Amino acid sequence: MNTQRETSVTAYCVGLAALAAAVGVFLSVRGPWPLVAPLVTLALLHVFAENQITDLTADMASGAGVMLCTAAMVVFRTDQSAIGVWLVAIAGGLYYPHLRHWQWRKLLFNCAMFPLAAVPSAAMFWTITGGGKASPGLLLAAALPAALVYSVVNVVLVCVVVTLDTGQRLRDVISVGSREYLVYYPFALMGVFLGLLYLDYELALVPLFLVPILVARQAFSSYLALKRSHEATVRILVGALEAKDPYTAGHAERVAEYAQYIGLELGIPANRLERLRLAALMHDVGKLVVPNHLLNKPGKLTAEEFDIVRKHEDVSVEILTRIDFLAPVAPSATSEAAHFSPVADDRGQPVEPHIVAVADAYDAMTSTRSYRRALSQDIAFAELRKNSGRQFHPRVVDALISSLRRRGEVHGAGHELYVHHVSAPSGNLGSAGLGDLLPDTAPNASADTVAGPTVRS
Amino acid sequence: MRTSVRVCVVVALSLLGAAVAESVNPGGSTTALVLLAGAVALGELVVLRPPHRAPLPLAYAFMLVLVRAESPFECFVAIAAAELLVVPLRNGAWADRATQSGEHFVAGMAALGVYRIAITVDALTPTPRMLIALALAGVAAILVHEAFAYARARRIPPFGGADLALVASGMLMAIGFRGVEARESVGLWSVVLFSIPLLAAWYSFERLAVISRTSQQTIEALSVVPELAGLAPAGHAARVATLSVQVGDAMGLRRRELDDLRAAALLHHLGHLCLDAEEVRDRPVEPAEVADKGAEILRQTDLANAGDLLANDGVPVGGQILRAVSAFDDLLDRDLSVRAAMDALYSGPGFLYDSRVLDALDRVVGAGVATTLVSAG
Repeated sequence: MNTQRETSVTAYCVGLAALAAAVGVFLSVRGPWPLVAPLVTLALLHVFAENQITDLTADMASGAGVMLCTAAMVVFRTDQSAIGVWLVAIAGGLYYPHLRHWQWRKLLFNCAMFPLAAVPSAAMFWTITGGGKASPGLLLAAALPAALVYSVVNVVLVCVVVTLDTGQRLRDVISVGSREYLVYYPFALMGVFLGLLYLDYELALVPLFLVPILVARQAFSSYLALKRSHEATVRILVGALEAKDPYTAGHAERVAEYAQYIGLELGIPANRLERLRLAALMHDVGKLVVPNHLLNKPGKLTAEEFDIVRKHEDVSVEILTRIDFLAPVAPSATSEAAHFSPVADDRGQPVEPHIVAVADAYDAMTSTRSYRRALSQDIAFAELRKNSGRQFHPRVVDALISSLRRRGEVHGAGHELYVHHVSAPSGNLGSAGLGDLLPDTAPNASADTVAGPTVRS
Repeated sequence: MRTSVRVCVVVALSLLGAAVAESVNPGGSTTALVLLAGAVALGELVVLRPPHRAPLPLAYAFMLVLVRAESPFECFVAIAAAELLVVPLRNGAWADRATQSGEHFVAGMAALGVYRIAITVDALTPTPRMLIALALAGVAAILVHEAFAYARARRIPPFGGADLALVASGMLMAIGFRGVEARESVGLWSVVLFSIPLLAAWYSFERLAVISRTSQQTIEALSVVPELAGLAPAGHAARVATLSVQVGDAMGLRRRELDDLRAAALLHHLGHLCLDAEEVRDRPVEPAEVADKGAEILRQTDLANAGDLLANDGVPVGGQILRAVSAFDDLLDRDLSVRAAMDALYSGPGFLYDSRVLDALDRVVGAGVATTLVSAG
């Protein structure tokens, strides 16, 4: 974060905290104060929910907050104790990692954001339900507009801080961020139930309420841990396997990274992104069955050698097909499936093979191989653009180029990280490796022109 | 049929049934009964799959609402109807589908019986009595469910969070559906809304199951690579993995140790592919070199325990099992009979293979060499 942005974020957080504090002082003077038992119970539940669930997904964390605040609105409805709701809400800001690492700006922001969203939401809820006896149906109905108010305030406050922090446009941040707030409504309805259960049964039923939430959290934590462990294991195994060939060391990891960039740029959902990343990591695993001397042969391959090398795609597909999660994108490992045809109707067809193809070609062009030096990024972009709409999917090419430019990343000649220890060939050599095997290869073209669409890793 | 289609069928039928019930008897209790039966049927299609145990249908949570809210006869009819309805919507052979429905029906009836007995005990005030009766009913349903699973697998399942989540949500739904001691109730809304945490648990378990399977299948898929490269006989890794786990099980290894042993067995030739190609181009590769390279790589990952089994510098039981089983499979691959292969292993130098491992392997493959040796001795 640069200094100007940091100052803006600090000023914003301090300003919000001052506003929230002023509201708190006003409400505490105005009263009425709530009963201590429900106040402490709900506040502790809010602290617990935010600390236990925040590390899973932002959605669930926000949902827990709106649920506890709505429960407070139901419990404190008779007296309309706004300071009670304020206190329950502010408790959600006490997130232990922020305290431990003393991230005071985040702490201030959260402690301000929760009450500033909850108090107007409570006002809406109580306006609709009044202070007298209300049917459960009315309470449920009132929870929805209350959740709307809560989410609007929450969206605005969060999106402003993201804008100040990242420099993105507020409109863009809101258009992405506001999609996640639909989850508030069912949680607000659950909050009504929690409030009613508390009013009727006090603490007796609270553990019953918490158990399934904790079980879901535990299972989701296990899932996240296993997912991270699995991906790390695949990275290390694939990395170790391809390390035997210094020319392609790190290739799979880079292709996976570029594929991830493209996927994010194209707005691919998280689950498919995970699949894409793994498929990209393993797209060349079949290459391991090809003898090294063929992979790195600095001359043209004989027909027999060509057949041996070409088999690697079948092996890659076979291996990916054995993994149910990756089977739908197994064609990512073949050059045919990834070949873009401008006349074919590709609606309903997975875009993943095209993404892997472009990421693969880009990395092949920007890396030094046994048969030529790395090309510059500009040449690689030009080659991708030249074949965009013919061999490569145009949207995928655009996505890769714009994402790399936005990230300010430069790859290719002079920017290689992995193969400095390899003595690079003098260039202008004929083909070997897997790259220059596609039918339209120009075997004796110069290093600056041979790559592009015909290069495979 | 996809789960989403099956869910839509059940929802449509439930709503249709409720509409008919409402038109015949407006404002009557039959409508809620039909909808609760629909919820039980839906709960049969949405199943919690915690690791290492039989799946648990959400239906048990909805059954607690029926047990608490309806008369025993109505509860019996609703659960029976729901279980019958889902028979054609389940996967698998018809006999298995009917058996599953039958088992779940029996579990529901167990919950009903336990609840009816517990609720008559006068020792407590109504609210604690209700809570205890519902908890006992939920536990009864789960125990009957697990008893059927035990009869099939002969393995005591690890009870845990999924069971607690089902019972706790079912209790909340039952109390919210019809309050205790004239307290407020919110009817069917409680069933809908207290399903949300259960659905979150279901989603989490589903994701966990997918990534566990993916992780397992990735190891299996990578195990084939050395075979495709001609560095090991086809199917060698899978055979060694299966037999090693059987031997490990026979020697009383724990589940986690068996998982490590299986991973090590599947990947025990992978090190060959990772050796420096230039370095080994003109000389034969030693098995110990392959094992150590494999161990070095696996020790960098979360499969570090499996790596320890591959390494030549350690003597964990799993490593001994792997070494013996791999040699056994190699001998079979040279067209030796099972007995001849075991004889060859026993006749090797004593330090090469652990005799306890060879005895266990002998028992698993049924060669009977160990018995002969004992008699001869």
